[in-house]
Amino acid sequence: MADINIIKDKCVGCKICVGVCPFGAIEVIEKRAEITDRCTLCGACYKSCKFNAIDFKRDERESSDLSEYKGIWVFAEQRYGKLKTVSLELLGKAKELSSMLNTKVSSVLLGHNIESLAHELLAYGADEVLVMDEDWLNDFNDQIYGEAMTALISEYKPEIVLVGATSKGRSLAPYISSSLKTGLTADCTGLNIDEEKLLVQTRPAFGGNLMAEIVCPNNRPQMATVRPKVFKPLEPDYERKGKITKIHREPIGGFVKLIRNIDNSDGLSLSDAEIIVSVGRGVGSAKNIQLAKELADALGGVLGSSRPVVDMGWMPYSRQVGQTGKTVAPKVYIACGISGAIQHLAGLADIETIIAINQDPDAPIFKVANYGIVGDVKEILPVLIKRIKGRL
Amino acid sequence: MDKTFNKMYAEYLRDESRQIGSAESIIFPNTEAEIIFSVKEMSLKNIPITTQGARTGLAASAVPHEGHIINLSKMNKVTGARYDKKEDRFFLTVQPGVLLSELRKYIANKSFIVTDWDDKSVDALKHMEKGQWFYSTDPTESSASIGGIASCNASGAKSYRYGSARDHISGLRLVLADGDVLALKRGQYIASDNRFSLITEGGREIKGKLPKYRMPDVKKNTSGYYNMPDMDMIDLFIGSDGTLGIISEIELELSKTLDVNWGITIFMPDEDRALDLVRALRQEVKIDNISLNLNPSAIEFFSHNALNMLREQQKTAEFSNIQELKDSYHTAVYVEVESDSNDKVWGEVEKLGEVINALGGNEDETWVAYNLVNLEKLHDFRHACPECVNLKIDEIKKSDDRITKLGTDMSVPDNKLKDVMKMYNEGIRENNLNAVIFGHIGNNHLHVNIIPGNMDEYEKGKELFLVWAEKVAAMGGAVSAEHGVGKLKVPFLKKMYKEEEINEMRKIKKIFDPAQILNRGTIFEFVEGDQ
Amino acid sequence: MKIIVCVKQVPGTNEVKIDPLTNTIIRENVPAIINPFDTYAIEEAVRIKERSGAFIYGISMGIPAAQEMLKEAISLGIDKGILMTDRKFAGADTLATAYALSKGIEKIGEYDLIICGRQATDGDTAQVGPSLARTLNIAYATDISRIIEINNNKMHCLKITDDGYEEILIKLPALITVVKEINMPRLPSIKSMKTAKKSIIEIVDFQYVEAEENRTGLKGSPTQVRKTFVPVHKVNNILIEGTVEEKADKLSEILLSLRMEVK
Repeated sequence: MADINIIKDKCVGCKICVGVCPFGAIEVIEKRAEITDRCTLCGACYKSCKFNAIDFKRDERESSDLSEYKGIWVFAEQRYGKLKTVSLELLGKAKELSSMLNTKVSSVLLGHNIESLAHELLAYGADEVLVMDEDWLNDFNDQIYGEAMTALISEYKPEIVLVGATSKGRSLAPYISSSLKTGLTADCTGLNIDEEKLLVQTRPAFGGNLMAEIVCPNNRPQMATVRPKVFKPLEPDYERKGKITKIHREPIGGFVKLIRNIDNSDGLSLSDAEIIVSVGRGVGSAKNIQLAKELADALGGVLGSSRPVVDMGWMPYSRQVGQTGKTVAPKVYIACGISGAIQHLAGLADIETIIAINQDPDAPIFKVANYGIVGDVKEILPVLIKRIKGRL
Repeated sequence: MDKTFNKMYAEYLRDESRQIGSAESIIFPNTEAEIIFSVKEMSLKNIPITTQGARTGLAASAVPHEGHIINLSKMNKVTGARYDKKEDRFFLTVQPGVLLSELRKYIANKSFIVTDWDDKSVDALKHMEKGQWFYSTDPTESSASIGGIASCNASGAKSYRYGSARDHISGLRLVLADGDVLALKRGQYIASDNRFSLITEGGREIKGKLPKYRMPDVKKNTSGYYNMPDMDMIDLFIGSDGTLGIISEIELELSKTLDVNWGITIFMPDEDRALDLVRALRQEVKIDNISLNLNPSAIEFFSHNALNMLREQQKTAEFSNIQELKDSYHTAVYVEVESDSNDKVWGEVEKLGEVINALGGNEDETWVAYNLVNLEKLHDFRHACPECVNLKIDEIKKSDDRITKLGTDMSVPDNKLKDVMKMYNEGIRENNLNAVIFGHIGNNHLHVNIIPGNMDEYEKGKELFLVWAEKVAAMGGAVSAEHGVGKLKVPFLKKMYKEEEINEMRKIKKIFDPAQILNRGTIFEFVEGDQ
Repeated sequence: MKIIVCVKQVPGTNEVKIDPLTNTIIRENVPAIINPFDTYAIEEAVRIKERSGAFIYGISMGIPAAQEMLKEAISLGIDKGILMTDRKFAGADTLATAYALSKGIEKIGEYDLIICGRQATDGDTAQVGPSLARTLNIAYATDISRIIEINNNKMHCLKITDDGYEEILIKLPALITVVKEINMPRLPSIKSMKTAKKSIIEIVDFQYVEAEENRTGLKGSPTQVRKTFVPVHKVNNILIEGTVEEKADKLSEILLSLRMEVK
């Protein structure tokens, strides 16, 4: 089995490995490194040692023939006959990766009365679209969709399968990867191909404090869910030609039944907003959120929130921006009383202008803000709202 | 009056008391020399001066009474450190405008801007590395300035264990009304035979006689000038609401942090038993022969009405995430414990469970937090009380904007706890008012918050406060325990001290500020021509 | 009813700091805590128990010190704690973790419901729950925000999605992952802590659960961490200064011009 040991004669107690270990599992005692039982055998340390004092034995896996797996798949998520933007973003990225692998991009489209979407997928970069248009696929279902996808993957053998890290994607993908006993990397923010033609998947770990590069060398397909808004879709080219393959299968039954959808009706969604006014703990009290709402309304923006505010129940979870909430990419992001913990910053994708108002001049939010104001949100917002309303 | 001034600097005409004053000029000095310059200028013209820190006070001390404002917010540097090796004590010298939140951050990170420090101070910092330190004065408002904290002798929840601001101030520099400077170290000037003599930096001797009035025998008090036989003269200036001089520098003593921090909220079946529990926690009484030695740093209280208010607010989104209150939870006591060992605390908590059961409570009706995540939940619950009150007041304000928050800040001696609770409850009932009681019961210092439904109830509440002030004074209590007298509580102080006693305070003021230019109208009314 | 709650010990991430010089995580004095999302899972199980009776198992895979965390889970209302600890489980990714947990759960025997927190705060993958359900071949639903009713081997719930909610019906036995909207976890009482202190956690190893070696631990993990690095954020920032009025004036100018660009 895998094992890790410090070669005592070689170790000089330089502590480089201590800093590298993401689990805090190495301690230097009497100038010698020791590995504690927090170690998860991740192997992050052994390459860092300049003295080759870490003996790390990874298990060699008998790898099956991986060469028969070819092509990149993008799961095309749709709802009410409309494609999710993240699927289009993934097609663009897949296109880029496919040129490095000299392969093609396929998209799998499941649902009912959705056939027409296949052309859109071609326009956004798919070379081929596999369509299963069946009445029993009308409602999204982890198990039914998962079984269908698993069967298709077993048959077509793609080397990479990408799924948008939406609530449905993150629920569905583990079903597929577990069925196929392959690797799955969650919520990636970066994808690349290395010299061994492996998919390098970058994702935040430890609440965004650390980024990890993850590979899946011995199993296929290499699977990842990818965070919305990190990649840009290609300009659609509706003249683009490609292959559309229709597939029919016998119905599959499931254990979970959808009774009804209750869609949010609180206006524009965070992910689509151009201007977001977001509130953090620094607003002081729930009633001051009304001020932020007023500012958002005056600017034609949407109200967002940091985690503590949601935890306190001042805002619903659907408004939470950050690692455990939504990733947003507005043009303007106004952070009111948000300290800017790394978990929050993890939810800020490609934002042109970040404005921060916070009482604490050392708040980390000021490090990422284009404009900063040190001050009390409840004093500044009322004046600001008055000024803006006066000018509109 | 200069209208542009009032518009530009409107925020400097008020503080958290929501009173609005008036002024003609303002200065934001960066150094003590600039304070001196400004004071001399005003003193020559006999223009009154109001000193401001962060304007978070609740008694209107920083609300200007015409004239000039000296705002110390730019004097916000930590200027030095000192380590007493023999006694392992650590001190910091700070300018008055340093905010409590900033100070806490500097100390927690052990990171200071030392470019202006002398070598001795820089060396002292090394001793700080050895342990974790903190500044124990913990008023809820962390954006308060240290100068303000010293001026009103602030305290906070943990003062049950750590005492008030006074107990951690070891040095002061003050700019006097004539621009001369008085530097005081604790232990340097001790009154004897009720007389004192101080030497200013300008070489002037200030002599005087201590007043005859006696202060109440309570742990928390900031009602008028401190006065004790053979007192350390530094204590006269702490809690003097800026009326004797302008603080330009403060030396603070830090305390050592204890790693283990627990919070426990205990629900008792009625108020009387909750008060018995408080007495057991203070080790005044022994229940069932159990020797409870929890040594809390804070003992807090939530009345039945306060819990009901939270129960009701829990249904709204703003407070939906505070801990759920079962129907059987009647009155609550919250204790916070600091120690160096979890096992030690747990041993005491086990005994506490027995005491609760013996008093007719139920050890299952408790919330225990022994890590920071859960401790924060209990803090949120505690802070929800004042927040709820503010929310309700804001709601009522919409119907009549004359209505403001009505909260008491009085303390009584330990043996009067049950009496004062009876007084509050009866007063509220007889006047048919809606009120919640919470606060620092460990020091018999409760905040009674009246939530007036209309102007009539508001007036009734104000009158009731005056009645209570008189009764609290009669019990040997203090009318202001931690907020200071400021301008708002001048009438309360009159209930606590006789006219001649307040006149003695005036005499003290005139020794240091003969023309009465500093913080007029604070602690006692300004009387024109009384010079 | 028999309920199994999966719990994980994680570092109290609130305290994770980055050393500005070496750009690495400072981990000294980071206390281990129960994964905050799992506290909602425990609470929901306890509420079911209070409503209609149930026996609650808490299962965790981790280092021996995780016993303390399982005791904490007992103080929060679970009935029995099981810790799977073995060097052979170490280094597991989500697939190998799900497999190992499935073996541990098979040893418990029949059950009606497995509840997991939505995700763990150290990994944030949200994959172990669904993967475990698939491995056990039972129904699952993620992000449950409310259990409306449990009846006739069916569970009627609300599930949070990106677009709102879904009302669903799940056939038991099933696994659900829960979000924090579902409840407000209680704090332990002095009484429940006394019970927990006296409890004994069952410790099981690799051999006991009869797992396959090439499906557990590092060996059973298809994914590998190749390297880790600290993200950097860089921007030019402008500090707006002045009185409240001045600050608001300047900011309103900036906002109005930005707003023009957006429109």
